[in-house]
Amino acid sequence: MAAAVEMEKEEESPMKKGEEALERLRSADPPLYLTQSSEFARDARAASCFLFSSLVPFCTKLPVDRLLVEGFDAEQIWYQIDLLSRPLLSTVRREFKRLEEEHHSRAGLSTIDADGDGEEMVVEKDEISVDDEGDEEDGDESEEKGSEDEEDGEEDDEDDGEADEEEEEEEEAGEAKGNVVEDKFLKMQDLENYLENAEAKEYGHPLEDFDSDGDEDAELGANARYEDFFGGNKKKQQKKCGTVGKRKRSSTELDAVDHFENTDEDVEKNDSEQKLLSTHEKELQKMRSKIEEMEKANLDPKSWTMQGEVTAAKRPKNSALEVDLDFEHNVRPAPVITEEVTASLEDIIKKRIIEGHFDDVERAPILPSKPPKETKEMDENKSKKGLAEIYEEEYAQKTGLAPALLSASDKLKTEATMLFKKISLKLDALSHFHFAPKPVIEDMSIQVNVPALAMEEVAPLAVSDAAMLAPEEIFHGKGNIKEEAELTKEERKRRRANQKRRFRRLKAETFKRAVQKTGQSAVPGATNGN
Amino acid sequence: MEVEKLEAKTAVATAMEVEKAASSAAAPRPQFKPLKPHEMSDRKIEFRKVSVPQHRFAPLKRCWMEIYTPVYEQMKIDIRMNLKTKKVELKNRADTPDISNLQKSADFVHAFMLGFDVADAVALLRLDDLYVDTFEIKDVKTLRGEHLSRAIGRLSGKGGKTKFAIENSTRTRIVIADSKIHILGSFLNIKIARDSLCSLILGSPAGKVYSKLRTVSARLAEKY
Repeated sequence: MAAAVEMEKEEESPMKKGEEALERLRSADPPLYLTQSSEFARDARAASCFLFSSLVPFCTKLPVDRLLVEGFDAEQIWYQIDLLSRPLLSTVRREFKRLEEEHHSRAGLSTIDADGDGEEMVVEKDEISVDDEGDEEDGDESEEKGSEDEEDGEEDDEDDGEADEEEEEEEEAGEAKGNVVEDKFLKMQDLENYLENAEAKEYGHPLEDFDSDGDEDAELGANARYEDFFGGNKKKQQKKCGTVGKRKRSSTELDAVDHFENTDEDVEKNDSEQKLLSTHEKELQKMRSKIEEMEKANLDPKSWTMQGEVTAAKRPKNSALEVDLDFEHNVRPAPVITEEVTASLEDIIKKRIIEGHFDDVERAPILPSKPPKETKEMDENKSKKGLAEIYEEEYAQKTGLAPALLSASDKLKTEATMLFKKISLKLDALSHFHFAPKPVIEDMSIQVNVPALAMEEVAPLAVSDAAMLAPEEIFHGKGNIKEEAELTKEERKRRRANQKRRFRRLKAETFKRAVQKTGQSAVPGATNGN
Repeated sequence: MEVEKLEAKTAVATAMEVEKAASSAAAPRPQFKPLKPHEMSDRKIEFRKVSVPQHRFAPLKRCWMEIYTPVYEQMKIDIRMNLKTKKVELKNRADTPDISNLQKSADFVHAFMLGFDVADAVALLRLDDLYVDTFEIKDVKTLRGEHLSRAIGRLSGKGGKTKFAIENSTRTRIVIADSKIHILGSFLNIKIARDSLCSLILGSPAGKVYSKLRTVSARLAEKY
């Protein structure tokens, strides 16, 4: 840091303008910062440029090597400074730590002097304050307080100071910082603790405030940071371990706990026994702790999910939302309607319409169990029969003197049967190979004794001659009819004899009648003669 | 009729024989033939007189022979028209076979006077159990003026079709004369016809009456 100081001193001389501007800013009254004066702004810009360029050598990677202030607004200028200051801060911190270590190794036991500390801190501060001379206000105020500023606090002040210089119009932070330098980053208590720690390290005293972790911290130099943060939490962890459920114990935590031998009973024994347990014993203790956990869990009342019937009052609010409840869904989940689904449905609809295949509910036809009743139609005309006739007919039917009248249905029935017979005959002729004769339909029709020739003229050849008259209808004859040529001699003789006999008889009869009528024989010698 | 006459003749003959036999023999139980109406009434002649209303004169004149023939020939009742008193007179004869013939003939003529056709009225002569029932519209419901006319119209229907429908389905004959209604037929049929006519008078539409008629007549037909 001394070298750095020298370097900075060298750079001061060429940038005199900037320094002068800085001086002017520093000397100005605070209220003047609130006023909007272009001179002030110019000075502020110049000062920032000077500071920026003075710090540039310490930064490794920077996009710009000087602060660009012309034509840039506050935000941009601040951002440039931020770019510079961040890596710079980290380097400074590292350097400081390094120096600290060197200082510890070099310095022996020296008197603890508040002033000395103060001086040291002041020296350190002075070394750093060269980087930011604009902070002397803050530095003065901190000195007046008499408390030692931390490195972090200074760095914060530096940042704040830089911000203050640029944002003169809104200069309030300086005043704010001056009074109480405490926010979430800086706590006085932490500061004091750390200082005590530092003192203990420096002078090798075991401190009484802290627990034995201090020694351990001293020994475990590599884990200093780890134990800084986790050292305080160990106690909390010990207390928690008993109450926390089995699940919350992760392997790492278990290891951490075991590493420090954390059980409820063995808090005091931690230091002595921690390093003396063998792996087997460690495992045994692990098991034991596990068993105790489980026993405790069994004894405790179960969680609401494990109890039987749980009403809303018995479980914590909104706890059912967090748990995966298993329902039996009796309802099919609603189908997700996508374009494909609708397209398929529409296809089905179109196909059905084309086919004409609908799913209408049709009435089941009533099958007739019995034949339909013959309902007489209401006759609205004057009846043609007299009442007497009606009764007469009824009586006749009852007694059976007159045949039953064919009702309309009967007529229809007969007609239907006739038609059916005809049709069935035709169908049989078509379907069967063997011959079936025509059924006899008894019908009354006039048969004319027409000569066969005439018939054949009109009708086709295949017409049967059954419709014509039968021979016996044409000719009545008895016995064995023979023609003239067929007769034998005796038969001829017989015929002639019969003929003669008939003739004579006839003649005699006529004569007799004639005689009767006239009363006398007209013809002489008219006696029966041969 | 012929059958009856035949029976009567044979009965007379046998009765005569029996009588003779009885008188000759030693008095077995006497069996008498049925009395003739002539003898029943102590040889007095019974009359029936049927008055002729004015509007039936012409039809009577027209159908006189049709009325006269069955009465005189078959019923053996003397019938004549007294123009002065405007009555038809019927008289028993000596050879009238049955005592009820006179009454039947009188009913027959009376039915004709009421307005029935001869062909319908003749049924009275032939069948025993036919009656003529008369009632008035005011017996059923008091109607006046237009309502009465409308009721009469409802009874007969358009062109008489309602009346004919009732006649045909119940085997009766109906005559609607102004306010009076005459029904000719057997007892049950008269009842049915009367019920239908009453419902028509009371105002039910013809269709309703038809449906009722249908069911009733079907039931009647099934009986026989």
